[in-house]
Amino acid sequence: MRLEKLPAAQAERYATLECPDFETTPWVEGPPLAGRRVSIVSSAGLVVRGERPFRGREADYRVIPETTPPDQLLCSHISINFDRTGFQEDWSVIFPLDRLRELAAEGTIGSVAATHYSFMGATDPREMEGAARAVAARLKQDNVDAVLLPPV
Amino acid sequence: MSALGHYLEEEGIPTIAIALVRPQAERTRPPRALWVPFELGRPFGPPNDPAFQKQVILAALRLLEAKAGGPVLLADFPEDDPREAPDPRWRPPLDAKASGEPLADALITEVAALAAPYTQSCAERGRTTVGLGSLGPAAAAEYVAAWLRGLPPDSPVADLSPILCLRFAVDDLKAYALEAAITSDTRPSSRQLGDWLWNESATGAAIRDLRRQLADSADDRAKLIATMFLVPGLRVTPGG
Repeated sequence: MRLEKLPAAQAERYATLECPDFETTPWVEGPPLAGRRVSIVSSAGLVVRGERPFRGREADYRVIPETTPPDQLLCSHISINFDRTGFQEDWSVIFPLDRLRELAAEGTIGSVAATHYSFMGATDPREMEGAARAVAARLKQDNVDAVLLPPV
Repeated sequence: MSALGHYLEEEGIPTIAIALVRPQAERTRPPRALWVPFELGRPFGPPNDPAFQKQVILAALRLLEAKAGGPVLLADFPEDDPREAPDPRWRPPLDAKASGEPLADALITEVAALAAPYTQSCAERGRTTVGLGSLGPAAAAEYVAAWLRGLPPDSPVADLSPILCLRFAVDDLKAYALEAAITSDTRPSSRQLGDWLWNESATGAAIRDLRRQLADSADDRAKLIATMFLVPGLRVTPGG
């Protein structure tokens, strides 16, 4: 987002939102992209239709199987201050599973993970630490070695 | 988001975050992030532009192969979202007409009138994002209308308070109207669609009025939800 396009007061709010201050700087390397297994971990509050939507600043996560059809994915992020028409028109704007499949088919990435995940991005990230580490364990079980982290 | 990358990477999994708000990525300092200039809600850019979306994803994934630059790497995606430009061919799904009806009635009338364009739009796209609430558009309109008439009904959904049921009903009515306005032969910007919803449609007017009414509520939770979760901040006018 280009903050300069927003009214000054709103740009200032986004620019100064409180962020966690981490003491460590972890950095893990892996094989070339063509050998990687990629999962999406979204913070858009995505839920599979029929599951309980996020209702507030909750710190848990939802599971999105790779087999989820586009008409079964909903966005329950509590903020109303971001565009939803892009997602309404095309789910790839937020959840680019189809693009990952194409990249896997053409050999640019190794494979697409069996499972993807979503958190509710308005939650204080420090409260999500436990759930994030639980998701990491599940990703490792699926042999994932590349995670794409899209916000909204 | 950027903080999740920190935790996952600590657990041994390489991550690449998309950052929409650059100053947040600068301060959170995830292992790798790609800042994109697109509006909030569009981390991969324009809808229905697979080639552009793929460029964004590839620009992000390629940062995973960078051997130098870590342990904190923040790169910028250079291109803007071409869908920020309005499409002059786009037309609203209904002709604007002042009905003179109370807003509660106008909302119910409009939701019924939007059924045809909504159904057509869903058929073209093969999907809908309506469904956070479980009422369906017509019942959601009736539920919102009851609140507008000053008679907050009980929640018809087990496990949902009336005000939360109202929030999900409003979410669904917004999605329903906006999806009715999306057609496969035009490429409207989000601003075009939002201008119609908030400045011209009965749905937008009804939600604005609901916000105004509940902003004075003695119920703090209703007041909070009304002021924070019904009308986007940029669409709130001095009168509400």
